[in-house]
Amino acid sequence: MNFLTIALAKGRLADQAIELLELAGYNCAAAKTETRRLILEDQANGLRFIMAKPADVPTYVEYGAADVGVVGKDTLLEEGRSLYEVLNLGFGGCRICVCGRPELMGRLDSIPNKRVATKYPRIAREYFEIKKRESVEIIKLNGSVELAPLIGLAEVIVDIVESGRTLRENGLVVLETIAEISARMVVNRVSMKMKSQRINPLIQAVRQQLENKGTRTKEVIE
Amino acid sequence: MSTWQFHTPDGVNDILPESCAAKRKLENNLRDLFCGRGYQEVETPGIEFYDVYAAGGGLVPQEGLFKFFDEQGRILSLRYDGTIPVARLAATVCREAEPPLRYAYVGNMYRYDEFGGGRQREFTQAGIELLGSQSPEADAEVIAIAIAAAQVCGIKDLQISLGQVEFFRGFLVEWGISGEEAELLPLLIDAKEMVALEELSDRLQLPSRGREILLRMASGYGTFDLLDEMTSLVSHPDSLAALQNLRDILTILDDYGYLHYVSIDLGMLGGLDYYTGVIFKGFTYGLGFPLFSGGRYDGLVGLFGRDLSATGFSIGVNFILTALSRQNLLYSPVEGIVYLGYDPGLRASAFSRADQLRQEGMRVICDHRNQTPAMLRRQIKAEPEARAVWLDADGRLTWLEKEV
Repeated sequence: MNFLTIALAKGRLADQAIELLELAGYNCAAAKTETRRLILEDQANGLRFIMAKPADVPTYVEYGAADVGVVGKDTLLEEGRSLYEVLNLGFGGCRICVCGRPELMGRLDSIPNKRVATKYPRIAREYFEIKKRESVEIIKLNGSVELAPLIGLAEVIVDIVESGRTLRENGLVVLETIAEISARMVVNRVSMKMKSQRINPLIQAVRQQLENKGTRTKEVIE
Repeated sequence: MSTWQFHTPDGVNDILPESCAAKRKLENNLRDLFCGRGYQEVETPGIEFYDVYAAGGGLVPQEGLFKFFDEQGRILSLRYDGTIPVARLAATVCREAEPPLRYAYVGNMYRYDEFGGGRQREFTQAGIELLGSQSPEADAEVIAIAIAAAQVCGIKDLQISLGQVEFFRGFLVEWGISGEEAELLPLLIDAKEMVALEELSDRLQLPSRGREILLRMASGYGTFDLLDEMTSLVSHPDSLAALQNLRDILTILDDYGYLHYVSIDLGMLGGLDYYTGVIFKGFTYGLGFPLFSGGRYDGLVGLFGRDLSATGFSIGVNFILTALSRQNLLYSPVEGIVYLGYDPGLRASAFSRADQLRQEGMRVICDHRNQTPAMLRRQIKAEPEARAVWLDADGRLTWLEKEV
């Protein structure tokens, strides 16, 4: 019961999160061991790390299986879980955009019932149906989404844009930006109350690190 | 063969003897508590007209309701919560009852949208509604019963957060925030999205005092100290009245001896829109969700045609079971079964002796397989909790030893 469980999104985000936690004075040796184990415990410091698929991190945290999570804002938007989103960690920066062929620039709204191919059906639906009040057909794909407008499966795509290189090489452009994305620290709503003595110092220490690094970040819980 | 004949649908499950016994015990503890505090139990139907939940432009998200039709084409819905049907009942069939009214319920609720991680589509809620009193005493009474409810179920570690929705409404008026921003702001505060809050503050060009209030709403904790601090920051009368209301409620909860469980969280703004005053949530270990929640909803009964203020709470019985088992507190001693054995000719006598033993509180099964004492001794060896008693021809009962 006294363990603080931190869910990390496997991959680059986890590495950056571990680096940040170490700088903030948390011993993450357990999480850094080369292993295929998915739960890594540090008895001495009462820390437990869960290595999860990014899309599952918000789920673990919402259900209280993990107290704290580090995950991209894109995943948070797509999963729509009820969490506290306490810190912008700054790294993993990118944008989620509507992209398509350059001739659609400025004409996006004139295509009725457009087909939108995406790995992020919820974000796409919220953007078009709720924000723009426009009916669209969402086509869920699992990768290489840029293919869809090239072969006529969809008029536009909704996807993550980092450098824009993949888009350029496939003759696509950003038509509209939906949201700015970066890694966030999220906290379970009950843990925030029941384990505040452990979670608040963690948030404070990480925030302090972010400020030291000069990363533009904002606030939280005293 | 039909594919689904061996399954139960998603989000529902069978409750087996051991957990069923523990669950009934909790439900009865809660019934006794509510009854002892002067709340009368009512049972509203498992099926309501959809219009009940659609009142006032939609009290609950329609995606969350289990819906079907009656023979006249009207939309029906399974009971989604306890509060809305009780509000309907208080305003209609009980409209002549003199307030204050105190109603309690224990029943199954059905929600299509909540499923996973310990949440089921069918679950049991117990709750109370106190209708016709606007005083902070009424709110404190409900909160105190919520705390007592967790306690009678065996939950020891408990924290309650109190909020007040009028505080935020006053803030919106004071700073002239409306439209899209007024809809977005409570979501951001509720999720403690500090980055987005800061950005929205920039867009609204909020001065530093406004930002300070937002910051304290999203992250401030405390009791009287936090209320005092907030009082010095706000000027809208609704916000000030909300703070005073919380101060009054805290003072009364102190008299109940419950102040140490409670803290103020003015950032609790999510959930049902029908709350109009204090809102509260109770938390414990081992559960990712609040154990109970409630608050004041003075406009709800009015939607059904009777002007009646109201305050109440509900607690999830399945959640209590989950929390108790995760905290290793679940203990349901079930008295072992007593097998009463007898010679075939003594059946009538065996039935009446069994009733006598039941009067004494035992759980007795008349052994209709007519086993011999030796066979009974063997049977109770296999069932650690069970005992066996033998009725002989002279009408004597002899307790049998377990076979060694």
